[in-house]
Amino acid sequence: MSTIAPQFRLSRFIASLFDIIFWVLLIFSLVGLPIVFIVLFYIKMPIINGQMLTPYLAMTWMADPSRTLPIIKTLLHTTFFHVIAFPGFGFAALLAAATIFVERKFLAKIQLRVGPLYCGKIEGILQLMGDGLKLISKEIIIPAKADKPIFWVGPLLFVGTAGALVSLIPVARGWVVANPSVGLLAVFATIGFFPIISVLTAWAANNKWTFIGGLRALHQMIAFEIPLILSLLSVVILTGTLNLSQIAESQQHYWWIVFTPISAIVFFICILAELERIPFDLPEAESEIVAGWLTEFSGMMYGLIQLGTYLKLYAFAGLFTVLFLGGWNGPTVWPAFPADIITHGITIGPVTAKIAGLPLFDQDMLNGTLWFVIKTVGVILLILLPRGVFPRIRIDMLLHTGWYKLIGLAFINIFIALGLLYAGVLGPGGLIQ
Amino acid sequence: MVDAVFLALSVLTIGSAIVALEIRSLIYGSIALMITLSGIAGFFLLLDAPFVAMFQLSVYVGSIAVLILFTVMLVRRELIFNKIEDKRRRYAGIGLMLALMLGIGMIIIGSGMKSMETNSPSVDYKKIGEDFLTYYSPALIVMALILASSVVGALTLARREDITNDQRTD
Repeated sequence: MSTIAPQFRLSRFIASLFDIIFWVLLIFSLVGLPIVFIVLFYIKMPIINGQMLTPYLAMTWMADPSRTLPIIKTLLHTTFFHVIAFPGFGFAALLAAATIFVERKFLAKIQLRVGPLYCGKIEGILQLMGDGLKLISKEIIIPAKADKPIFWVGPLLFVGTAGALVSLIPVARGWVVANPSVGLLAVFATIGFFPIISVLTAWAANNKWTFIGGLRALHQMIAFEIPLILSLLSVVILTGTLNLSQIAESQQHYWWIVFTPISAIVFFICILAELERIPFDLPEAESEIVAGWLTEFSGMMYGLIQLGTYLKLYAFAGLFTVLFLGGWNGPTVWPAFPADIITHGITIGPVTAKIAGLPLFDQDMLNGTLWFVIKTVGVILLILLPRGVFPRIRIDMLLHTGWYKLIGLAFINIFIALGLLYAGVLGPGGLIQ
Repeated sequence: MVDAVFLALSVLTIGSAIVALEIRSLIYGSIALMITLSGIAGFFLLLDAPFVAMFQLSVYVGSIAVLILFTVMLVRRELIFNKIEDKRRRYAGIGLMLALMLGIGMIIIGSGMKSMETNSPSVDYKKIGEDFLTYYSPALIVMALILASSVVGALTLARREDITNDQRTD
């Protein structure tokens, strides 16, 4: 028997629950409701179907599912929902969290280990939650001679920049947080912030390991940014647009990786370098410089950096999918919403419930999301794979690869793309549409 | 809305520019310079030129500010900078700046550009590309020549023949 709570009594537990409920209700009715009504004086309520949304009306709708669903449906299309939940932060963070767990298990299987096993009993599935709780409860230690403002702001900026990158990735047709006409340039501009953040936080920690790691990160990211940009230019030449949604849309019949395989390979290597993953993990080489530019971070600050790193991983994998693997395009495998429920309603025994506006998401969007997730997860696994296989490379080899070999290779595919375009095979008005 | 954003951006840009000039710490100065440059990108976004704004961000913040930061961090600044504390120089600088701003402002107000058009459609980058290859092609060629010569110059400066590279095996 476990002896976590030897004095446990069920009756006292239930009594304490009732106690909490009583106090919550009391405080809500005495304090919460007046605050709500005071705030309502200053908020302009939205008008839905010609009626102003007062609190009473909202509660009436809440009691009736046929009226609630349209509200939820409108909520799904607000910018707030896009940013917080679906194509934005929530979705990306979910995939990122899954990636952290899958990475550990996947590498363990490659190297004939077992990986996390204890937490959650079944293959250690709750390991991540345990790690998160540990990080939150740990003390945040700031080095005595650190430059405190920059040191505090660094992890937040890192997560913010990674979130900005995530917001540019279109998940399904019309499902993207920010859809600027110069989306790809926005990606380049956002990538440019990462080396600044890492070198500034590295400098601010006032530690030689962090500073060496920060300088390595700066060298590496700057060196690989140029082949990264050049490798994407061939796709831009072929599609004639910089908007990521239009680039994904243009691959309905064939993927760009068919015509620009060299660019795809160059871009993939650059992703590995930008993400500081093995074999390019020199900025945080743990056997040489402790943990590189992350050495002095502790507790949730390290957790934020980790979150940002995996958000960035998702964003780059999504970018690879959108640019080379056709984005959300794929055969329709998601079943259509049953038509009887829309026309006749759901029949349970003698009761028939007719619910208006039921297909919350249309089939096209669900199908697109499914294909996007499948492709992105494939790319993420491909990014994780070298960590179990390759050793770390030397810094001069890294810089040689970045500045010399990859730039040359990227130009080859630009010329191939230009040749295809001027020969009239591809592009606007080409043979293959 | 646009006015509020414009005001906020102006305060941010000019304020951080003053900070970049006045602050003692060089690192904070370069951070303030980054904020100034980002603020200018914000102005370009307000003026419906996202293309220029994104290039402002990726070139000025992403490359030039990094270069400045790098230099400031790696070079011992006592060797290259010597402090000159002179009140009269500062006032002369402020006066010169005010005179310059007044002159430019008079010219701009006199030219009839008194209001900002904020609802016009954003400038298409394809138009910019077309213009560069047709009407402004001499400018493009001159830019290309300058960039090529600067790359060659940088390579010449970076090349050192006194170091033999024995360690490399690849």
